[in-house]
Amino acid sequence: MIELSHVSKTYPGTIAPAVGDLSLAVPAGETVVLVGPSGCGKTTTLKMINRLIEPTSGTITVGGRNVFDIAAHDLRREIGYVIQQIGLFPHRTIADNIATVPRLLGWDKQRTTRRVAELTELVDLDEEMLPRYPAELSGGQRQRVGVARALAADPPVLLMDEPFGAVDPIVRARLQDELVDLQARLRKTIVLVTHDIDEAIKLGDRVAILDVGGVLEQYAPPADLLRDPANEFVADFLGSDRGIKRLSLIPVSSVELIDGPVLGQGASRDDAEAMMRRFEIDWVAVGGDGTLAGWLGRDDLAGRDDISGITLRPFRTRLDVTDSLKEALDAVISSHTAVAAVFERDRYVGMITTEAISREIVQ
Amino acid sequence: MMLLLAQVESQPFFRWDWVFRNLDDIWDRTVEHVMLTLIAVTVGFVISLGLSLVAIRWRRAYSPITWATGIMYTIPSLALFAFLLPITGLSVLTAEIGLVSYTLLILIRNIVAGVDGVPPDVLESATGMGYTARRRFLEIELPLALPVIIAGIRIASVTVIGLVTVTALIGFGGYGFFILRGLGLFYSSIGTTQIIVGTVLSVTLAVSVDLGLAATERALTPWARKKVPA
Amino acid sequence: MIEFLGEVAAWFTDPANWTGINGIPNRMWEHIQMSAAATTAAALVAIPPAVYLAHHRRGGVLAVASVNVARAVPSFAIVAVFLPISIRLGLGLGFWPTFLALFFLAVPPIFTNSYTGVAGVDPALTEAARGMGMTDGQVLRRIEVPVASPLIIAALRVATVQVIATATLAALVAWGGLGRYIIDGFATQDSVEVFAGGLLVAALALATDAVFSIVERRITPRGTGTAADDVTRVAA
Repeated sequence: MIELSHVSKTYPGTIAPAVGDLSLAVPAGETVVLVGPSGCGKTTTLKMINRLIEPTSGTITVGGRNVFDIAAHDLRREIGYVIQQIGLFPHRTIADNIATVPRLLGWDKQRTTRRVAELTELVDLDEEMLPRYPAELSGGQRQRVGVARALAADPPVLLMDEPFGAVDPIVRARLQDELVDLQARLRKTIVLVTHDIDEAIKLGDRVAILDVGGVLEQYAPPADLLRDPANEFVADFLGSDRGIKRLSLIPVSSVELIDGPVLGQGASRDDAEAMMRRFEIDWVAVGGDGTLAGWLGRDDLAGRDDISGITLRPFRTRLDVTDSLKEALDAVISSHTAVAAVFERDRYVGMITTEAISREIVQ
Repeated sequence: MMLLLAQVESQPFFRWDWVFRNLDDIWDRTVEHVMLTLIAVTVGFVISLGLSLVAIRWRRAYSPITWATGIMYTIPSLALFAFLLPITGLSVLTAEIGLVSYTLLILIRNIVAGVDGVPPDVLESATGMGYTARRRFLEIELPLALPVIIAGIRIASVTVIGLVTVTALIGFGGYGFFILRGLGLFYSSIGTTQIIVGTVLSVTLAVSVDLGLAATERALTPWARKKVPA
Repeated sequence: MIEFLGEVAAWFTDPANWTGINGIPNRMWEHIQMSAAATTAAALVAIPPAVYLAHHRRGGVLAVASVNVARAVPSFAIVAVFLPISIRLGLGLGFWPTFLALFFLAVPPIFTNSYTGVAGVDPALTEAARGMGMTDGQVLRRIEVPVASPLIIAALRVATVQVIATATLAALVAWGGLGRYIIDGFATQDSVEVFAGGLLVAALALATDAVFSIVERRITPRGTGTAADDVTRVAA
């Protein structure tokens, strides 16, 4: 969808190029994240796509068309653009802000109003906000308006420059999730710039790791990057916890679960002790038929004949099959039982062990 | 001389009868004052807007422009009228050229400051969405610069209203006409009355215009007052 | 036009215009003396309270209001109003109405701009100073006043130029100064005298402005920012 071919940018008065001879292809419908240290030219590259910065040499095509073949402002009306500080127009209502590009393109009022309503729903914004001014909205709400505004004219391409950098981590995580959902629905071609490698891994279908001067060190899907970094620079940039980062990409469902030490409600004390000996642990879980009521420890058995009268302890974390192995590891490590119970919606399906998890890392 | 001063002591301070007898005259002078002000500020604004656009487009022009308008501002108005007399005579043109030249520095400074004050992220997102430079200036930059620009217009207007009084010396004056005549009759209560009338009316006009412009600014910028995040 | 300028040149080279009460030196000196006196008196009255109030962060509303209110009163009116006042006070014509008018003209801008100058000193500076153990008075003397001094000089600059300009009108209240040439010239329809007077007044105003600007720049403590350019009242 977007092709950069031997693109370079050297600012007048400097010797070293900000971006030197970069070639990159962004497939249609995918999210490509440009990430790298300060000075790697990721923002410069992004801005060359919509010609906010003019390349010194090389060609860029969007949808097969050379970006130089049309007037810059026409090009930009077909590309969505979201920046960190958002840049909402303070003197216009939210509705008018969202309607900016449609107005520039000359859409009629009805069509515009309908589209604004559509987008408001799409980005999960309260309709009530439409007649308000940006100063009245919170940071997270403004971000959503920024995204809605960028999508207003339904551009095939979306450029995002550190879009979530200005909000706090909790809001940022939520906005990232929402972007992933949005993308699943809309399948736009997105080029996103960030300095946060975790964000890149979370959001990108492909990640381009750039070094100073726009040097492309590796360009691959995040799982591939994490498994096989191309060189030391990439490995360093990914961080020493590469293995654990990979875990965040793998769902629990792809790992083999064990049935676990589960007893029925009517089990006797001997059954319990036998189970504990078999698994070499000091506790048992109680449940059956796809449910899990809780667990009990060896001490709880003292002076009893069966387990019926014992108050069960709840499992601290319940994992879902769609949760990532990273969350599973966290749950397993912080529980007394050294395993975590896994559910598929409400149905108990098994337990996950540290062995199963580390097997994935080693692979 | 002592006789004159003695007369001053004995007369009532303010002569309301003079006021009521001269209402027509007062009205004429009001019109004169308002018209001179209106023309000066409007012409001044148009010129300033043009020069500001030049200064915004070519930053290096800003210094020379403010230097030149600064000189015009520093030169006392009476001196300026003195220079213009041999060229344009005792005409409205002389008065207006003088008045307009005092508005330029203030207006140019405020227009440029207003436009400069527009947040850069707003400008970047506007360009990124496909605004042409011209539309961006008219639809985004100017409206957002409005509060500062109107503040400049307020100062310029009040200043001009004050200066119009000086044009009394070249045959106009608006309310300054009464002040000048009152000076000539300083020894009488009619004189003091006219000085007071001229002064009070000038101040009233200035304050009204100032408040009126302030209200206009509030009406034109509803977005500037909303602050509470939802 | 050229002819006219020739006449003006002739006026300046005529020795008669350089002697006596109505000679250029006398009128220039009168003008400078009066302007200096009025501005100095206004400074003495306005600067201390401005600095004090600003230091204690009080009276901000007064500072802003005083200039806005004062701006609405035409300088011409101020000069004219003081004539009857001066007479009723038994102070007569000429010097006193002029001095009083110029004094009251100069006080608001000096007050406001001095206040703004001191109040605008970076709070980080005063905080650091207090943190180091300086007393209130020391902070004022060693930090606030020096940092604000360019702005105070700027205030004096603006006020002095306004005073010089308004003093030209004082010829109407039987005072002298350079305005004498302009006003007398109007009366006798001597446009050469009017023009020459204009040149002298303009020259004085511009020269004063330039001198103050140089002083401003010189006393700006190295490392602080630019001087203020608050223009409050236009030369009358």
